[in-house]
Amino acid sequence: MSTLTDPSAVPSGGRHSLFRAGLRRRATPYLMVLPLMGFIAAFTYIPIAASLNLSFREWDFLSPDKPFVGLDNYRLLLSSHEFWNALKVTTVFALISVPLRLLLALGIASYLVRETLPSRFLRGALFLPSVTSTVAIAVVFSWIFSTDYGLMNAGLQLLGAPKVMWLQDPQLALFVLILVNTWKQLGYDIIIYIAGLQAIPQELYDAAAIDGGRRRHVFRRVTLPLVMPTTYFLLVISVIDAFQVFTIVDVMTHGGPAGATDMLVNMLFRVGFTLFDIGTGSALAVLLFVLLIALALIKSRFLGRNIHYGS
Amino acid sequence: MARENRWLAALALLGGLLFLSPALYSIAVSFQTAQSYYQGGFDPTLDNFIRAIGQYDFARYLLNSVIVSGLVTLIGLSLATMAAYAFARFDFPGGNLMFAATVATLMIPSHITLIPNYLSLARVGLLDSYAGLVLPAISNGFAAFFLRQYIKGIPRALDEAAYMDGARPIQVLWRVIVPIARPAILSMGLFIFIGEWNNYIWPLVAVGREDLYTLQIGLARLYKLNPGEGAVDWPLVMAASTITILPVLAGFLLIERHLVRGITMGALK
Repeated sequence: MSTLTDPSAVPSGGRHSLFRAGLRRRATPYLMVLPLMGFIAAFTYIPIAASLNLSFREWDFLSPDKPFVGLDNYRLLLSSHEFWNALKVTTVFALISVPLRLLLALGIASYLVRETLPSRFLRGALFLPSVTSTVAIAVVFSWIFSTDYGLMNAGLQLLGAPKVMWLQDPQLALFVLILVNTWKQLGYDIIIYIAGLQAIPQELYDAAAIDGGRRRHVFRRVTLPLVMPTTYFLLVISVIDAFQVFTIVDVMTHGGPAGATDMLVNMLFRVGFTLFDIGTGSALAVLLFVLLIALALIKSRFLGRNIHYGS
Repeated sequence: MARENRWLAALALLGGLLFLSPALYSIAVSFQTAQSYYQGGFDPTLDNFIRAIGQYDFARYLLNSVIVSGLVTLIGLSLATMAAYAFARFDFPGGNLMFAATVATLMIPSHITLIPNYLSLARVGLLDSYAGLVLPAISNGFAAFFLRQYIKGIPRALDEAAYMDGARPIQVLWRVIVPIARPAILSMGLFIFIGEWNNYIWPLVAVGREDLYTLQIGLARLYKLNPGEGAVDWPLVMAASTITILPVLAGFLLIERHLVRGITMGALK
């Protein structure tokens, strides 16, 4: 390490090198940040602008020009049954799976919060699916819920009940997907809740115990309000997850039967990469993007008050 | 008291195994012959794995997954560490804005980039290549955000001491910050690797050539290849699924603690 290249030492070569040393010192953080920022700009921010631009055009990926069609793509989407069906299915998926995940996770986490060996083991077991391949999980559960060779129907038969066509029944398929998604994500939610619960100062519980608070009461008055930031974080994450669910649907039902499990991202994939209707696909991507940002904003307004004061 | 603990331990073990039973059973089936699977009994065999590798090229998919996830981790982690250091230690015009843009990538749903990224990679001829699989995945701000929080917690006095000795910023990063932040960097590396290993939608979009399939694509194709549910060769599919799960499973058992720390710190900071 020579002092000649040291920006913090006084350079020995007069004004010119003083200027250069200063320049280098000022350039350093930019040089370090630039590579990552370049990737983020090229593959996240420019594409958002590109999506918006393409959503006002008509293009099939092959033809040489992309005529501007104004809001036609949006009009087409908003008047199609396909879009409203996908929006409905995705909303139902989110409305059921998000509360299910959070309630189960908080309930289980409050039992596993202690650092004992059994609780650590259970945490590990519950966490495992969340780092496991979603495709593999979807394949395994397709098999478990398969009509003729599945574990579920084998169990039903043992009880003398008839076989159920889990993934072919429009009423049931969506619930199977919700179940599989919950099974996969639950461990992650639990780990986050445990960290949130462990951050609550023990003195508050001690004080509640001195006041003679009953367990349920303490949970409602101490635990629940104080894990509110964690709940808020998980709510945001899991709603975004739910509106972006794709893999388990693509593998297990492919949107069927009869569109009963057709989610927004599956529709986006179909319109964009099977039909190569780039304009409509981009319009769908923009609508979904706007929807998710709106949801995040509504939630922060709605929950903002509760985070600090509790209910 | 001791007895109560033993009961709790047994209950936890049972609950954990029950929860994981679908996965455990699928692994068991992957070691069964088709005949014993459909007719009952247990006749252990490696035949399903041999077919998955011999007939369906799962060794190649495994290699592709290792290459792609490895490259994404290596490049992503290096860029994130550098950026995190700059965000944590330097006050420079535009720094806050760029940091905000980095953090915002956590909230931006990735589907909006699918079509444009496909189009731009097609334009430069990078679809159907490792580069096409790797490059878009680097555009993720989570590791930079997380490491920046971690580096902020390292006392500045250590940097100053190194500067006194005549070190340049990049040397401070490499000799002072990286050794201290190694656990956090490791956690993030695992996090990136696992995320990329399990990535499905982008490889599905970006790759059509079979010799570039990752495990996720290979497994989904193998399963979908089978016409109609009755015709699925379940032991074979389960062997392929076991090959897909096992590397991450093994890694998980080795480093669970690092991973959990990474995830919870990211959430709570």
